[in-house]
Amino acid sequence: MKKTINSILRHLVLLLLAVVWLIPILWLFVTSFSAYKGINTSHFFPEDWTMDNYAQLFLRSDSIVQYNKWFMNTLVIAIFTCLISTVLVLMVSYTMSKLRFPGRKSLMSFSIILNMFPGVLSMIAIYFILKTFNLTNSHIGMIIVYSAGAGLGFLICKGFMDTISVSLSEAARLEGASEAKIFWKIIIPLSKPIIVYTVISSFLVPWGDFVFAKLMLNSGIATDWTVAIGLFNMLGKSMINKYFSVFCAGGVVISVPISILFLIMQKFYVEGITGGSVKG
Amino acid sequence: MKKKVLATLLATAMTVGCLTGCGGGAAEQPAAEAPAAEAPAAEEPAAEAPAAEEEAPAVEAPATAEEGTDPVANLIAATTGTVTLKVWASEEDQDLTTKLLDDFKAAYSDVTFDITLGAESESTAKDTVLTDVEAAADVYAFADDQINDLVNAGALQEVVANYTFDVVNENATGAVEAAAVDGKVYAYPMTADNGYFMFYDSSVFSESDVQSLEKMIEVADAAGKKIAMDISNGWYIYAFFQGAGLELKLNDDGLTNTCTWNAAGGTDVAQAILDLTASNVLVDMSDEDMATQIAEGNVAACVNGTWRAETAAEAWGDNYAATKLPTFKAGGKDCQMSSYSGYKLVGVNPHSANVGWAMLLAEFLTNESAQTARFEARGLGPSNLNAAGSDAVQANPAIAALAEQAAYATPQRVGGNFWSPAETLGQILASGNPDGTDLQELLDTTVEGITAPVE
Repeated sequence: MKKTINSILRHLVLLLLAVVWLIPILWLFVTSFSAYKGINTSHFFPEDWTMDNYAQLFLRSDSIVQYNKWFMNTLVIAIFTCLISTVLVLMVSYTMSKLRFPGRKSLMSFSIILNMFPGVLSMIAIYFILKTFNLTNSHIGMIIVYSAGAGLGFLICKGFMDTISVSLSEAARLEGASEAKIFWKIIIPLSKPIIVYTVISSFLVPWGDFVFAKLMLNSGIATDWTVAIGLFNMLGKSMINKYFSVFCAGGVVISVPISILFLIMQKFYVEGITGGSVKG
Repeated sequence: MKKKVLATLLATAMTVGCLTGCGGGAAEQPAAEAPAAEAPAAEEPAAEAPAAEEEAPAVEAPATAEEGTDPVANLIAATTGTVTLKVWASEEDQDLTTKLLDDFKAAYSDVTFDITLGAESESTAKDTVLTDVEAAADVYAFADDQINDLVNAGALQEVVANYTFDVVNENATGAVEAAAVDGKVYAYPMTADNGYFMFYDSSVFSESDVQSLEKMIEVADAAGKKIAMDISNGWYIYAFFQGAGLELKLNDDGLTNTCTWNAAGGTDVAQAILDLTASNVLVDMSDEDMATQIAEGNVAACVNGTWRAETAAEAWGDNYAATKLPTFKAGGKDCQMSSYSGYKLVGVNPHSANVGWAMLLAEFLTNESAQTARFEARGLGPSNLNAAGSDAVQANPAIAALAEQAAYATPQRVGGNFWSPAETLGQILASGNPDGTDLQELLDTTVEGITAPVE
């Protein structure tokens, strides 16, 4: 009896938390189907439903809604950043985890401390440095900004690689494998779960970033923008009443690629955790 | 030993971090200030670096106009190669500006142009421009209250000469004053309607009802409708205090404010706002909410500007009407609500590589026909005297209301410290002073915030 009550109580708390967490997302989702274009706070669910907002997003580009363009910009930036950062993180992690060299410990502490400083602190400096190279308002500049410091975020990945037994790489070395071979043929295949984690987290950085993008892409030319700036622009006080539901639709669509990425990656994630290579 | 190394590293890293932080701030400073030092140089392009040399005859040309040469012809003659210009206009103005830019290219077809049009709201232009003046557009639109900061940062080219029309004499005096700092004109007036007044549904209110706010509340209450005003916004709450004769103005330093809202009579105004909102008929509502509530028929009158005219006209149809702001009772006497009058201006960036062409384009975007086109397309009130005098403009209810309100309006010249204390005051009063703070104390705190020195 007591058990049942306890269980009910626990589930009620969980339900409450779930509701609190889901309501805003649900609101965003249903509002994206609203036929009324502005913010309507007097109804939770729209009075008239329509798919028109999505159609406007993809099919009817105007000076304010250029979603296809923004989506492609963001995707290109995110994909390149993701590739570069992942490679950097894995390489640094391998170095820190498997190789021994003088100053390794202090280098590690130093980079961890450095990584703890919020990147926005150096934002203005970065802007002016890139400006001297004429890389502001360019997607290459954005990719550099997003992926340049990625190597510092090696901590979690290094921790995972530490759990891969040293005997594996030792065995390979005895067989005459080079460091590169050990890295690519032994360590990488065993690190799938952490690669998945790294890929997803480094994809998310440029995908959801607003602050750097807003600072870097300051020409006001809408075709250069990323989704985050484009959507933000729709919330300007003179536009919000004509574009709010389109904004919501944009917000829903932006979550699609990341969900797809996770679904693909999920398979490896599970595999990596269950598969073992050293017994006993 | 190891600990020592770690400690040293930590200390180094922190110092580096601090330096980076400060470095960022320092880097921003010169960006905002450096152009100010250059501004005088920009006025005399002949003294400028070689890059501007090509422009020198262009800018000076109009000065020689008295000698009978055509400045535009001189400009064209002095131009070799492609003229690259970047223009910022607000999102709502994109279609019209695109069309005007095409006309501009056609009008000067001897020259090859590469003009790009970006989107930047007039209300946020200052923030974006001042982030990096050099990277900002050559020609951009902004609201007149930003002019002091823009001029201080060297982000505006003084209008030293005119190419196609006389900017000073063809625009309304108020607009030219708004575009000037210390007697020098720095921008081209574009619209003269950046103020607020009262929209109402004439099926609910009669013309005599809208003379007094108390009467309006009574009528609206009977009809079950609301009157909306963005009270928790310094821009609008100013209407009450200024209306009651209390003062808020920018000091000569261009940064700090003088404010007498806590002087005798101040508490009467605060009490009046409390009483008015206590009815729950006059409601504090943001502009975005107003649009929805007007469309839904809950709001039958609102204090807002021409940008809301379309929404109101659509919702109320033939009953759509607009007039000056009503009076309200403070301390037993009727006070006419005041308002801010504002203008939208077009400015030229002195860092432009083609200052001459940028100035000519700014003229083109603000001349009589452009202003007429802007009125026809978007209902914005022209600052150009000829355009404003046309029958169509005179017949527009919103613009007529604005003109009526103009007698009680003051130009918006206020330091940056005004906004958030005023907003807080508005929020407290609109929510009925929930903590029961003594009104004099509340106003003292507000004034202290508004008049606080700027570092």
